[in-house]
Amino acid sequence: MTGMNAFIHDLIAYSPQILTGLKNTMLLMGIISVTGFFGGIAVFYLTLSSRKTCRIITEKYISFFIGTPLLVHLFLMYYGLPELGVRISPLTVSVIGFTLNVSAYNARYLMTAFHGLDRMELEAARAEGFTPLEIFCLIILPQTLRRAVPSLTNQVIQNLKDTSVAFLIQYNDFFSQIQEVASTNFEFFKAYVTAGLVYLALVSVIVVLSRRLEKRIALPGF
Amino acid sequence: MTFWQILQVLATGAGFTILVTAASMSAGLLIGLAAAMLSRIRWKPVQHLLVAFTFVFRGIPVLVLLFIVFFGLPSIGIRVPPFLSMVLTLGLISGAYLAEIFRGAMNSVNLDEILAAEAMGMTRAQGFLYIMLPQMFRFSIPGMINEFTSVLKYTPFAYTVGIPEIMKQAMSLTPMIMRGLEVYLAVGIIYFVIYKLCLMCFTALEKRYRIPGLSAD
Amino acid sequence: MALIEVNNLVKQFDDKIVLKEVNLALDEGQVKVIMGPSGCGKSTLLRCLNLLDPPTSGRIVFKGEEITRPGVDVRKLRQSIGFVFQNFALYRHLTVLDNVTLALKKIKKMTARKATEKASYELERVGMFEHRDKYPAQLSGGQKQRAAIVRALAMDPAVLFLDEPTSSLDPQMSREVVSVINKLYLDNVTMFCVTHDAFLAKYISDSVVFMDEGVILAEEIAERLFYDHPDPRIRQFYLGVIDMK
Ligand SMILES: Nc1ncnc2c1ncn2[C@@H]1O[C@H](COP(=O)(O)OP(=O)(O)OP(=O)(O)O)[C@@H](O)[C@H]1O
Ligand SMILES: [Mg+2]
Repeated sequence: MTGMNAFIHDLIAYSPQILTGLKNTMLLMGIISVTGFFGGIAVFYLTLSSRKTCRIITEKYISFFIGTPLLVHLFLMYYGLPELGVRISPLTVSVIGFTLNVSAYNARYLMTAFHGLDRMELEAARAEGFTPLEIFCLIILPQTLRRAVPSLTNQVIQNLKDTSVAFLIQYNDFFSQIQEVASTNFEFFKAYVTAGLVYLALVSVIVVLSRRLEKRIALPGF
Repeated sequence: MTFWQILQVLATGAGFTILVTAASMSAGLLIGLAAAMLSRIRWKPVQHLLVAFTFVFRGIPVLVLLFIVFFGLPSIGIRVPPFLSMVLTLGLISGAYLAEIFRGAMNSVNLDEILAAEAMGMTRAQGFLYIMLPQMFRFSIPGMINEFTSVLKYTPFAYTVGIPEIMKQAMSLTPMIMRGLEVYLAVGIIYFVIYKLCLMCFTALEKRYRIPGLSAD
Repeated sequence: MALIEVNNLVKQFDDKIVLKEVNLALDEGQVKVIMGPSGCGKSTLLRCLNLLDPPTSGRIVFKGEEITRPGVDVRKLRQSIGFVFQNFALYRHLTVLDNVTLALKKIKKMTARKATEKASYELERVGMFEHRDKYPAQLSGGQKQRAAIVRALAMDPAVLFLDEPTSSLDPQMSREVVSVINKLYLDNVTMFCVTHDAFLAKYISDSVVFMDEGVILAEEIAERLFYDHPDPRIRQFYLGVIDMK
C-alpha cells in the first residue's frame, strides 16, 4: 500500500497543476457546449432554407463534419495554418474545431426531432400569416429543442469526453496534467485510471443535471 | 511533391485505418451482442454488472481508455500490443453503445412471434436464433451505422500507440515537406472518402435486405 | 378413445383462479367451438392444453399419454398441436413461404426442397400460393390469417387450435378465413376453435362449449345453445351475439 500512498502524495503535490488542467477542461467543454448549441440551431435553420443551394451546402457541411475525425480538423488548423502565417492558440483551435463539429451533430439531432413534428401545426402557423423566421423561432424551434433534449445533453457528455483530445495539440487540459504526474512517478496505470474515474464522475454530474432539465421542461403529452 | 502524391503516401496508411475500424467494430458487435443477451437474464448481479459496464465504457474518453490499456497495463505487468490495445479500447466502448442499441431493438421485436414459434415446438434458443436475432439486427442498422462512423473517426488515435495508419503517415510526412495544410486536408479527404464509400455499401446492403413493412415501432 | 381428455383442469394466476375444474374431451375428427364472455378463460384453456401456460392442477391426456405429468416432452406435444392466434403472429421478417417452411426445416428437419414442396402444397389448399413470396406487411388481414393457418397445418398436427381466428378481421376478410376453416372441417381436420362468431359456431362445429368465469356451463350443438337455453347466463350472452348477426 506504500505505492498507493506515494501516488496519492504525488497527486497532492501536483494538485495545483491538476486543478488548472481540470479548470481548462471545464472551460473548453463549457465554451463548445454553448457555441455548439447555438451553432447547431443556426445550421438547423439553414437546412430549412427555401433556397436549394443553401440546403445542399448545409447538408454537405453536416455530412463532412460527421464523416471526418475531429482530430484531423484540429491538426489542420494547429499544424497547417501557421504556414499561412496564422498562428492561433490551442484553445482557439479547439474552440473552432469543436464548434464546427458539435454544431453539425446538434443540427442533425434537431433535424431528426423536426421530422417527428406535426406538420399540420406548421401549416396552421403559415396560414395565420407568420413570417418564416417567426415560425422558426416561435413554433419549430421550441418543439424541436424539447424533443432533442436527450440527444443534446448526450452531446454535452460527448463534448466533455472529447476535450481529452485537445492535449494532442498542446492544450493544457486535465488529461495532459495527469500525464505529467505519470511521467514523473511512472505510475501510468494508477494515473490513467484516476483520470478515467474523474471523467466518469463528471459525466455522472452532467447526467444528473440533464435528468433535472428533462423533467423541468417536459410538457404534458410529449 | 504534388497534392496527388501526398494523397498517395497517406493512402498507404488507409489499410491500417480500415483494419483497425473493422476489427474494432467486430469486437464491438460481439461485446454489444453478448451484453444485450445478458441483459435478458433477470438476475440482479448480472443486471448490476451490465449497468456498471455501460456506465464505465460509455463514460470514459476513448483516449483515456486507450492510455490505460496501452501505457497503464504494462506498469502492472500486463503488456498489450498496440493493435490489440486499440481494438480492445474501441471494441469495449462501441460495445457499450451497441449493447444499448441492441437492447432497444430487441424490445421492438414482437413477442407474439416468439410465442408462436414456441407454440409450434421450437426451443427458446431456436426462437431467439430464427425470430429474435434476424429482426433485432434489422432494427439496429441505423444505430450500427452511427456506431461505425464513431469508430472510424476515433481510429486516428491509433497513431498515439504507433500504428502506421493515415494519421501516423501524415505526422511523419508533415515535418519532411513542411506542408501541413495540404497534408491534413488530404487526410480529411481520405477519411471522408472512406466514410462515404462505407456508407454507400451499408445503404446498398440495407436496401438489398430490406423487408417491406418491417420497422421498429 | 378421445384425442384430448381434460379432467378437473385448474389454472390459477397469482391469486386469481381462471379455470375451475374444467372437464372436456375432443375426439379425432371432431370440431369443437368454445364460446363465452371476454376474460372467461378461453385463451387460457387453449394455452394450458399445449402447456404454453402450465396447468395448476388436473389431468390432461393427449393421444393416450398424460401430458400433465412431469418430464413430458413439451416440444413433441406442441408439434402435434397447431396453434393459430388472433393477431396472426406471422414472422415479419420472413416471406409467407419461409414462414411455413421455417418450422418444417428447423423442427421436422426436412430438406429445403421437401419443406418448400410441402409448404407449396398447403398454401395451394387455401389459395395462398400466389402470395408465397410476399412479406406479412404486404398481405391483407385475411391473407395473413390464412398464411398463419397454413403455417400450423403444414406441420401435420393432430389437432388445430384456433384462438379467435376472425376477431381482428373485417367481415369480408373474416369470410375468407371462415371458408378456409370450413374446408378443413370438410377434410375432417380435428379443431378446437375459440370464437365470438356465431356463424362459425353454428355451421362449422360438431358441438359448442360455453364457458363463463372459468366454468363450462354447457356443451351442446349450436342451435340448442343459441335459442332459448334454460340457463339465463347463456341466454343473456346470445341475445347480444345473435342480434348482431
Ligand atoms: N399471464 C397472466 N397472468 C395473470 N392473469 C392472466 C394471465 N393471462 C390471463 N390472465 C387472466 O385470466 C383471465 C382469462 O383470460 P383469457 O385470456 O383466457 O380470457 P379469454 O376468455 O380468452 O378472453 P378474450 O375473449 O378477451 O380473449 C383474464 O381475467 C385475464 O386477466
Ligand atoms: Mg382470448
